Amino acid sequence: MTSMQSAQDFDHQNGLEWRLYTGMLTTRLFEDALIRWEHEGKISAQTFPSKGQEAIAIGCCLALERGDAVIPSFRTRGAMVAMGITIVEQLREFVHSPLAAGGSRDAPHHASWPERGVMPGSTMIGGHLAMAAGLALAMQLEQKGEVSLAFFGDGTLGSGDLHETMHIAGMSRLPLILVCENNGWEMATPWQKVRKTQSLIPYAEPFGFATRSIDGNDALEVYNAARWARATASNGQPVFLDCMTFRAGLYSSHFGEVRGNVEKDLATWEQRDPLKRMAEWLMGHGLASAEELQRLTRQEEEGIEAAFNTVRSEG
Amino acid sequence: MAILSYRDAVGRALQDSMREEPRLIIIGQNLAGHALKQLAETYGKERVRDTSISESAMVGMAVGAAMKGWKAVVMIAYADIASVCHMAIVQSAAKLHYLTNGRLDCPVIIRLPIARFRGHGPEGNEVGASWFYNVPDLNIVMPGSANEAYWNFREALQRPTPTLFFEDRSIHTRSGDVAENSCGGKAQVTRFGEKLTIIAAGRAAALAEDVADEMAKEGSRAVEVVSLGCIKPLDKETIFASAAKTRRVLIVQDEPPLSGYAPYICCLLDELPAKQLKMAPRIIAGADQYLPFWDERPFLPSLEEVAAMVVAMMR
Repeated sequence: MTSMQSAQDFDHQNGLEWRLYTGMLTTRLFEDALIRWEHEGKISAQTFPSKGQEAIAIGCCLALERGDAVIPSFRTRGAMVAMGITIVEQLREFVHSPLAAGGSRDAPHHASWPERGVMPGSTMIGGHLAMAAGLALAMQLEQKGEVSLAFFGDGTLGSGDLHETMHIAGMSRLPLILVCENNGWEMATPWQKVRKTQSLIPYAEPFGFATRSIDGNDALEVYNAARWARATASNGQPVFLDCMTFRAGLYSSHFGEVRGNVEKDLATWEQRDPLKRMAEWLMGHGLASAEELQRLTRQEEEGIEAAFNTVRSEG
Repeated sequence: MAILSYRDAVGRALQDSMREEPRLIIIGQNLAGHALKQLAETYGKERVRDTSISESAMVGMAVGAAMKGWKAVVMIAYADIASVCHMAIVQSAAKLHYLTNGRLDCPVIIRLPIARFRGHGPEGNEVGASWFYNVPDLNIVMPGSANEAYWNFREALQRPTPTLFFEDRSIHTRSGDVAENSCGGKAQVTRFGEKLTIIAAGRAAALAEDVADEMAKEGSRAVEVVSLGCIKPLDKETIFASAAKTRRVLIVQDEPPLSGYAPYICCLLDELPAKQLKMAPRIIAGADQYLPFWDERPFLPSLEEVAAMVVAMMR
């Protein structure tokens, strides 16, 4: 490929692995840009970066089908990306564009596009899980085989709503998929200080959930698990996917790093970065070259900047 | 339509709503096998849903179902339990319409029976409507008659925002005509008088009517009663019209006086032209304390107290 080729050259690369890669890439670059714009004073919203965890959102949402619904956590920007909400549409909510579908009312990390399956999350940890179960209840009544999926962090184990939701969903056999982004940290508190096991599966199983613990940094494994989860939930058994991962970024763009002795873990998990691994997979299978991926990155960056300029010109 | 008891009017509203609203579900405990057995047999256990005792998740699920275009009635055992699901009521239900810029509606009724005079003690004999008075987009119904109970229930399911339905069990056996036309959301002048308006809701409105009836027996046509039915939003037009007519206003509230409709109506009446009222509006409210198990009545508005205040204000 030469530098004269346009982004459309990548359109033929619409296989699953490419979509997983580009979804994660877009999410990473978009969040990087959001943090940069905030620091430059161009936007005022804080970002809860999903850096290192992008495979979970992208893998799960690409496994969904028309009519399914997803409720992101405050750290699942990738869900919006994978559900087809463009960067322009997402950015409109940040800057109170007159074209913002949600009117810039909800915090941008909870922005919703209900008609396209992206439902509003909740700032109340765990509150959105009951809403996801309610969506699943409606889907069960409608009998179209649709499923409802919600993301949340492992710190949500402390929320009563998680347990109430699992209690009801398990007994009612709701088509619900609960996806835990299990990064082992509750803000600055490591999981060992607040619970007995890192896995949340021991809590979910007795409620009647089908469970699977997966490598949340392997986009293909996430996707395959989510396809299984979708089929299982659609057939009347709720699913709990425990996605083991690591937060490579800050808790939020408003904080510096507050986790003690995290440097070694950061270095270890850097080797397991989901974007890097997917790039290696693509190159290892002859589906992309390093140059192509670099060019794609540049194009994505330019596209994100262009989106910001577009949105700013709307106001 | 028919003469019904207050209790039966609520039951009829539920039945009629289930028949006319095919996408309405009821969520609660002990329903299909007991309290709503007939409805469950007619419409199925799918729409008359028994769940665990999980009030927070019950309300959250109703909101989730609303995201898919369903309506829901959440049956809470008694009003005090609204504190258990406060988060779901305020954060999930009340804010849905606003947060989504009106793209999602939340036609959900949270049924909160007031369980006074039944020996429940201080954790089971509160009203709690005033706890929620400052929550925007949250409608609060407190019927004082069968007519108000029926029509406010029916009307609540047509609203884009949720409704707390405070049904007062202490007046369950009071009977009245349920009119052909809806009074949902509207205050009713239930007794016509010339010299003083009592504004009240629920049991307090029934008390006011009893005072007016006692005085009528003695030949007095002094007292007019405005029964609010819906205490939020308030029907200001009916309140102002009656106040302008009688020029004396007494507001009776079955809760402590620090918040709720009583102090708010007092503020509203300040909008009337100077000297429109012959005297400042007065409030009779519950004492600012909890209600003991052994006898709640000394701390709540009574017929004698209201009658004495009426006499004093007209002196």
